[in-house]
Amino acid sequence: MSYYDLFIQYYPSLLKGLWTTLLLSAVTLLIATPLALAIALIRETGNRWVAIPLAILVNAIRLLPALLVLFFVFYAMPQLGYRLQPLTAAMIGLSIMGAAYMSEDFRGCIAAIDSGQYKAAKALGLSHLHTLRRIILPQAVPLAIPPYMTRAIIMVKATSLASMVAVADLTAAASRATSITYEPFLFIAFAGLGYLLISGFLALLQSWAEAKIARAYRLAPR
Amino acid sequence: MTLDFSILGTVWPALLRGTTVTISLTSIVLLCATPGGIAVALLRSAPSPTVRTIVRAASWIFRGIPPLLLLFLAFFGLPVVGLTLPPMPSAVVAMTAYMSFYFGEVFHSGLQSVPRGQWQACKALGLSPARTLFRIILPQTIPAALPSYISHATEILKGTALAAAVAVPELTNAAKQVFVVTYRPFEILLAAGAIYAVLDAGLLILQLYGERWAARRRAAR
Repeated sequence: MSYYDLFIQYYPSLLKGLWTTLLLSAVTLLIATPLALAIALIRETGNRWVAIPLAILVNAIRLLPALLVLFFVFYAMPQLGYRLQPLTAAMIGLSIMGAAYMSEDFRGCIAAIDSGQYKAAKALGLSHLHTLRRIILPQAVPLAIPPYMTRAIIMVKATSLASMVAVADLTAAASRATSITYEPFLFIAFAGLGYLLISGFLALLQSWAEAKIARAYRLAPR
Repeated sequence: MTLDFSILGTVWPALLRGTTVTISLTSIVLLCATPGGIAVALLRSAPSPTVRTIVRAASWIFRGIPPLLLLFLAFFGLPVVGLTLPPMPSAVVAMTAYMSFYFGEVFHSGLQSVPRGQWQACKALGLSPARTLFRIILPQTIPAALPSYISHATEILKGTALAAAVAVPELTNAAKQVFVVTYRPFEILLAAGAIYAVLDAGLLILQLYGERWAARRRAAR
């Protein structure tokens, strides 16, 4: 069969895989972002008796391979009585991994804000939450955009690990089609292109967001 | 179901074998990808704009595609072009390929930190390009690049888990092999995680010393 026929034959499953990858990426980013922000804020400005255990947890997770964490959620949780669907397990595992790394990115951006501003806000009688929301975060967000987008791209690439816990994502569709037809270049190139398109889109989003925020906060062009 | 860590008493030889494979895979990839990264970094500042563009594009592609997909590409693709390798070497090929480009970015920014005038000064002094690189430029690049070099080395260590997908018997794969027969994934994966944490911690201690050393070198400059 020609490449074209093969492609037509496996096109539906590849497209379905691409859709699953997009869904997985979107859901993990939507879960990980607020989680990471909460972890970063607690670790930078919160109660130290919460911050210290969180720090240990985040650093322990960052020492592990993502695949091992996914295996843990998918294979070990049933032993404790939580049997999860592959897609759910992948979403949980990837969100945990993503949030751990992302919280470190956010922490750096929050730490970059001069600590005198907390004291100044306190002297002006602002509450802690008010200080974070109106003083600290608006300054930290522009700093956070480049590392956030880099992290988002890493997380999109990491969704390919879901194929190892029986999720039919783009990588799984490509490797399945490859092992049936022995045509690796066609299908893996297609899948690779899919991932490159997603990260390309995120990179575009980054430059758009940077430009918009530079205008909104009247930052000097760098 | 209650947890019972005594299972580790029976499965530890398998985990140990997996650990040795993980360590050797990490070391081999590190040994191959470091010169690969230097080559990529040098090509990225090559005089020819065509070479620069090609290397930049290749770097973008290799760093934009999930490593797992590149492992599949090597595993399924190399036999098609007539190079049938066992799982371990094909994993080495794939990981070296993408890590060379990650290291390439690290070394590229390290090289950028050395003023261009030094190349010209060395030329004026009659040093050959190779001698300039090894005796003048790289010794200054290393302190700048070392911290992110070691953090990428931990990425290699964690990345070796992906080789499980192409049947390399490394630690994650070994853990899976034993927990599917013993039905004790919780205890066994926790043990595997602890081994990874110890290996990572070793690299992180190295990073700590490396960063101190680099700070001293920068201060001395």
